[in-house]
Amino acid sequence: MSFKMKQHFIILNFLFFGSSLLIAQKETCGYSLNGKVLDAYTEEPIPNAVIKVKGIERYTTTSAEGTFKIDNLCTKNNILIISCLGYTNLIEDHEHDSAIHFYLTQEVTGLNEVIIQAKRRKEKGTETISQVTIGKKEITSNPTQSLAAVLSQQQGVTFMSTGTNVQLPVIHGLYGNRILVLNNGLKHGFQNWGADHAPEIDIASTNSITVVKGAVGVRYGPEALGGAIIIEPNPSLLNNPFYAALGTGYQTNGKGYNTNFEIGNGTENWSYFANGNYTRIGDRNTPGYNLTNSGKEEKAFSFGILHHLDTWDFKVNYSFVDQKLALLRASIANSPDSFIRAINSNEPIIINPLSFDINQPNQKTQHHLAKAEINWWYTKGAKLTLIVGVQLNKRDEFDVRRNAELPIINLDLLTYDYQLEWKHPKWHGLNGLLGAQYFSQNNDNNPGTQTTPYIPNYNTDRVSAFAVESLTFGKNMIEAGLRFDLETNDVRGREINQDIFRDNYTFTNFTGSLGYVRQLSENSTFRTNIGTAWRTPNMEELFSFGQHGFKTTFGLLRFKDTNGKLSTDEVIPLNQSTVNPERGYKFINEFQTNKNGNSHNLTVYSHFIENYVFDRPIGVFGTIRGPMPAFIFDQVDALFFGADYSWKKEWTDKVSSIFGASYLWSRNVGDNAPLINQPPISTTIELKWNQGKVGFFDSSRWSIRPSYTFRQSQAPRTITPQSLVDGSVELTTSSEIFDFAAANDGYFLLDLSWTFKRKNLSGGITVQNLLNTRYRDYLNEMRYFANESGRNLLFTLKYTLKKNAKNE
Amino acid sequence: MKTINPFKNLQLLAILFSVITIIGCSNDDDIAPEEENEIEVITDVTLIFTNTADVNDVIRASAQDPDGTGIQELQILGAITLAADTEYTLTYEILNKLDPADSEDIGDEILEEDNEHQFFFSFTVNVFANPIGNGNIDAAADPINYNDEDENGNPVGLSSTWTTSSTASSGALFTVRLQHQPDVKTATSGSNDGDTDFALTFDLNIQ
Repeated sequence: MSFKMKQHFIILNFLFFGSSLLIAQKETCGYSLNGKVLDAYTEEPIPNAVIKVKGIERYTTTSAEGTFKIDNLCTKNNILIISCLGYTNLIEDHEHDSAIHFYLTQEVTGLNEVIIQAKRRKEKGTETISQVTIGKKEITSNPTQSLAAVLSQQQGVTFMSTGTNVQLPVIHGLYGNRILVLNNGLKHGFQNWGADHAPEIDIASTNSITVVKGAVGVRYGPEALGGAIIIEPNPSLLNNPFYAALGTGYQTNGKGYNTNFEIGNGTENWSYFANGNYTRIGDRNTPGYNLTNSGKEEKAFSFGILHHLDTWDFKVNYSFVDQKLALLRASIANSPDSFIRAINSNEPIIINPLSFDINQPNQKTQHHLAKAEINWWYTKGAKLTLIVGVQLNKRDEFDVRRNAELPIINLDLLTYDYQLEWKHPKWHGLNGLLGAQYFSQNNDNNPGTQTTPYIPNYNTDRVSAFAVESLTFGKNMIEAGLRFDLETNDVRGREINQDIFRDNYTFTNFTGSLGYVRQLSENSTFRTNIGTAWRTPNMEELFSFGQHGFKTTFGLLRFKDTNGKLSTDEVIPLNQSTVNPERGYKFINEFQTNKNGNSHNLTVYSHFIENYVFDRPIGVFGTIRGPMPAFIFDQVDALFFGADYSWKKEWTDKVSSIFGASYLWSRNVGDNAPLINQPPISTTIELKWNQGKVGFFDSSRWSIRPSYTFRQSQAPRTITPQSLVDGSVELTTSSEIFDFAAANDGYFLLDLSWTFKRKNLSGGITVQNLLNTRYRDYLNEMRYFANESGRNLLFTLKYTLKKNAKNE
Repeated sequence: MKTINPFKNLQLLAILFSVITIIGCSNDDDIAPEEENEIEVITDVTLIFTNTADVNDVIRASAQDPDGTGIQELQILGAITLAADTEYTLTYEILNKLDPADSEDIGDEILEEDNEHQFFFSFTVNVFANPIGNGNIDAAADPINYNDEDENGNPVGLSSTWTTSSTASSGALFTVRLQHQPDVKTATSGSNDGDTDFALTFDLNIQ
């Protein structure tokens, strides 16, 4: 290859191509497209890149100046495939025709302006697994929503929630610590247990979020059993002129407001960014009543600095999130009886006028994340990466109780993360990544809760090593991976009589993954992957004890089951129990095709999980305060089978639609019984109209999104709390699984949005639940007590200031 | 440049690994959570009916939940058996015996916070000559003979007076419910306001 290039830019995962294109509109098949391909980092032209128009046999290459021109196009919108051979580091790539393809979609924001953005490259170890990336624009279109709500627009992803503020992403029926949240390259170190702890992520500061739907335990470690959510912050681009953005939003439901800013600058060797976000929302309302105590307050700040030296990159990031999240007041503890009254009532038993106060029950968390990363391209096509991360997660939770001003849970979790990765040079055709990791967590209870700790103190230490290799031949790619983990846990807790208990357990484990990608034709791709993953049951699943929120929960080691009768007086050591680590085997296939403005994506998967841990109602037991609903953790063999389908159609150059549907079948196959809290079938269609330039606005876009979520037909049987209290139904631990309330009815929602752009100003109006539908969501723990939020109008405005690129 | 020895820079890897080992010393501690005193737990409640005409005539009925938040069921230890046509004063013994060596009198705490607490009752109609009716759990204004009041002049119920019916009966029910009502208790607040500290139902016999 004649051109020389700073080869390492391509290896960085967040590579974007900046480009300016001009479209001249003529008669039919008279469109022409010309432009320039630049390296987003150096802004140097990229010569000899192959520009191919997807769907038709037309291609060209860029000139020495990086320019290209394609004439006689019949459509205004085209998908370009840019193959940058020089960027793949090795000349063999050219000979074997295994160039990396960047699939670029052009986006017309004005008459003469086209922005090209490259899709993110897939992470090593996930290349054969179905995944989807959501970009900054989509994320920030609604700055007040949660991470999980953003992701739930994707097929196969839903969210599990506890009220209006706590939302956990669910991938193919799995949530919590079966889904790894990779926050800026580090496993997000937080109190990852229960349906009431969501990752503390400030979505306004994220640049992209990728959902990987398969088992990616090999690459990211235990707990990535059901998939991974990869959150990338601002990429700290070099040679990126100074920019500043100020955004604000107001929402009618809960009278919430939001303000956020971002600044950044990249020179030849340095780059920095900083951003911040403040959100305040009062009590939300449903059609007919307020959800008393459902507001939130969130503050977030982050910054990053990158220094680039020839073949080295040094990067430092820090982020801070502070959340105060209110939980529905009517959900707990007027009296244990109130659970029964609340479940029978159509409305929450406490309704007050709108307030911004965050009273009990609530959660206060602070999350600090600091990370240093060094990348060294020590030789052609190879890279060494060292990542060191520290996270401190402080969590206080308050319940309605006599000492309500004292937290009932007060935990500090300190996480250290060391990762060394080696992307080795191509070796006998193999591309690969080898890594070693050390991960340690230290969880401590702060004194003064005046209750037996719900979660014990513990130290987790894990040493891991992995290798992921891929081989490309012709139109095929095979990727295989293997991982070794050694994990030690040291646990100290208190029994009900305040005696100390201790436990210590170690697991060693191998995980593997094998995948295959075939380019079936120019327009179609098939991916298949089988991956194993494992995790030790988490601290809540093992050791939780006592009342929290509206229920009393007992972990796997906290109760003894003697002929169907429970006793909870002693803690069982893990090695004397029947508790085993969870092991998952996920087989996932994806078929993608894109032709003539139609793109289809079908993902089909099956997932067998041995020793699957979940919590379920076990009954209502008598206490001095009255009957109390009790939950226990259980371990069974579970099978999941499902499919996600999406179909995108470009009807005209301005109108497009996306149809999506998700189906999941799941079952406790060990006992041939249903599972609980599994996502129901959902389907959605989004119609988009890009009006282009109209009047005052440089661009105007409309979208309407009806969706229907079905009733979960695989829910367990229902046993009302009354029938347990009055003794008309008697249960033991071996009785068939049940729930206190039936699965909620299906519901239809309609969302509408309009966004505009004028010069540096952009903004929009989004209407959620336009029809003000009354509904309850089966995956919301508050479904026992209250409806979901009603209609919400969200107004956003953003002003962006950007210095012009010098070589314009 | 086509072939590259991947092991060329192994020594550098070694250096990086040693860096990790140096900074990788974890701060393992061995500290257990501190002992927490569960001051809000009630494990034992005893109803004490004292004949106002004869202080030595005392009837007791107890309820016990020995493990607090543990799964053990609440036990109602025996029925209340009162003499017919007799006036009794009802008082309580309310204890936290989670730590048997150091049982705690919750009754004292209730007395200290009497403006935040009220006892409510329900019973089978006609078992008492006074008060009449079925108690004030269903309607707070229904008659109950409270012997005490808080600083705001609202009833508390640590002591109350009961006169049994002159006809014998068995299998009637007597429920006593203690509500904790911080900032909630008023002259009109009822049995569903605030949090329940205990709610116990006993069998009641008049003989």
